[in-house]
Amino acid sequence: MSRLPPAFHDAGHGYDVFGLEPRAVQRAAALCRPIYRHYFRATSVGIEHVPTSGAAILVANHAGTLPIDGGMLWLDVLERTGRVLRPVADFFVSSFPIINTAFARVGVVGGTRGNVRRLLDDGELIAIFPEGVTGVAKPFRERYRLQAWRVGHAELAIRHRVPIVPVAIIGAEESWPIALRLRHIRAFGAPYLPIPASPLPLPVRYHFHYGIPIEVGRDLPAEAADDPTVVSAAADRIRDALTDLIAAGLRARREGRP
Amino acid sequence: MRVLVVGATMPLGAALVQRLLDDPDVEHVLEVGSEPYASATPRLSYQRVDLTRERAVHDLVHGVARKLEIDAVVHLALHRSARDEGARIHARNVEATRQLLRCCAEVPTIRRFVFQSTAAVYALRSTAPALLDEDAALEFDPGATQWIRDRVEADLTVCARMGMSPMSIVVLRAAEILAPAMGSQLWDYLQSRVCLRPLGFDPMINVLSLEDAADAIRLALATTSQGVFNIAGADTLPLSRLIARWGRRDVPVPGPLLAPLYRLRAWSIGLEFRYDLNLRRFHVGGQVDDTRARAELGYGATRPTAWPRPAGDDHSTAT
Repeated sequence: MSRLPPAFHDAGHGYDVFGLEPRAVQRAAALCRPIYRHYFRATSVGIEHVPTSGAAILVANHAGTLPIDGGMLWLDVLERTGRVLRPVADFFVSSFPIINTAFARVGVVGGTRGNVRRLLDDGELIAIFPEGVTGVAKPFRERYRLQAWRVGHAELAIRHRVPIVPVAIIGAEESWPIALRLRHIRAFGAPYLPIPASPLPLPVRYHFHYGIPIEVGRDLPAEAADDPTVVSAAADRIRDALTDLIAAGLRARREGRP
Repeated sequence: MRVLVVGATMPLGAALVQRLLDDPDVEHVLEVGSEPYASATPRLSYQRVDLTRERAVHDLVHGVARKLEIDAVVHLALHRSARDEGARIHARNVEATRQLLRCCAEVPTIRRFVFQSTAAVYALRSTAPALLDEDAALEFDPGATQWIRDRVEADLTVCARMGMSPMSIVVLRAAEILAPAMGSQLWDYLQSRVCLRPLGFDPMINVLSLEDAADAIRLALATTSQGVFNIAGADTLPLSRLIARWGRRDVPVPGPLLAPLYRLRAWSIGLEFRYDLNLRRFHVGGQVDDTRARAELGYGATRPTAWPRPAGDDHSTAT
């Protein structure tokens, strides 16, 4: 596959300012595709809700000890729309040797306001997991229950007038249950060391459900993004939409529908 | 326009003076440097001044500059070498800047003051955005080297006068100019045939060419805007590519080993590069966001650095 991302902002040497490199995107996609197709056997519903151009924010649930769900979502979007998703990662990820570089080459960015603003101004498609690290490390009994919900995505959507597409990732939350979180081991600034219950993620089927875009900023001025009540109301609205989408996704899986 | 250029004997100063002389609107350029050197044409004069002496700075501004009716001052004379430290270097970097600002404000014809600062004043942290805007935190780590501390202090000394002085003041925080004799750490780093970098980190580095840097100063002189402006260069590339484009061997080494290795290099060969000065940059990059300069000064980097090696065909097609 020699498809180049349609909105690649070359900073002069074949990389964008965040370090994304189209060739690395292709290599990573080639590497992940067998896992995506044959191990997690991913299916997806509602990809038409993801804009084919222009800025948008995908908001998804997050679980699975390591952010494998983010990688699979990245590949699903790439396979079906040709767009390179820019997942927003926690700060500490940029302190991990090797991983930070690999992530930067395929489009992951550090979660700072400045970075996200720049991406939205450039018309990029970003992914935010508002549960953050608490989501990745949620205990198995809490699966598919949204954890502490950060509101940054709602603020950004209002300020930049970009649509939010909720994405329910079904499957990831069972694929790699976490056994232990060693909180006193804080390697490279990570908040804990996760110990999964199985040596490898279980081959659970992945189902991506893309919901109808939510325009939280439609009738609001950009300054409304500074009002905490407006922002938290918008974040709750997105959270409710994602909760419904997850419920629908789980129901579909039980009934054997895609 | 009659311009006083402090630090005119540096490559950037020379490039700027050339640009100013090419402009028919510039009536006179007064060059100031520390080297004995003589160039005098009807539009160009040279003055040798020891900036560490307050009296010398005073006499320059109230003497020659007043007589020539200078109306704009460009200050780019910070001490380049990162190996020299001490009170004298501080006097040259900070006290001279303070004295120059004070004296220039006293001369009624001087309306404009442009200070060439550097992007090295920003605190580089993994929690900061990839592109630092003008409001980003500055480096106040007490453990930072004097080279950085002096630059932060000089930068803020100039910033503190904005709006308080009869002159309109511009501070240009420029990305590193990858050129010889500019005190460029990367330039010196790339002089070794083998370049070591921290294993597992390959940050995006932005470098500025001398031509674009001189253009930015020229634009800062031409507008009436006041404020701090980041100036980024036309080249943004990973550190490993930067090393490759320079025709050097890129060798990743575990991070903790780099400081002693480069200290050994400085001690044995005696070159400029200091790893402690570049440690954070070699992990997180530290590019600047020049949106403000583009909007208000009309700046835009157009001239890439002259790379000794052409882009490898593997990367030149990836556009």
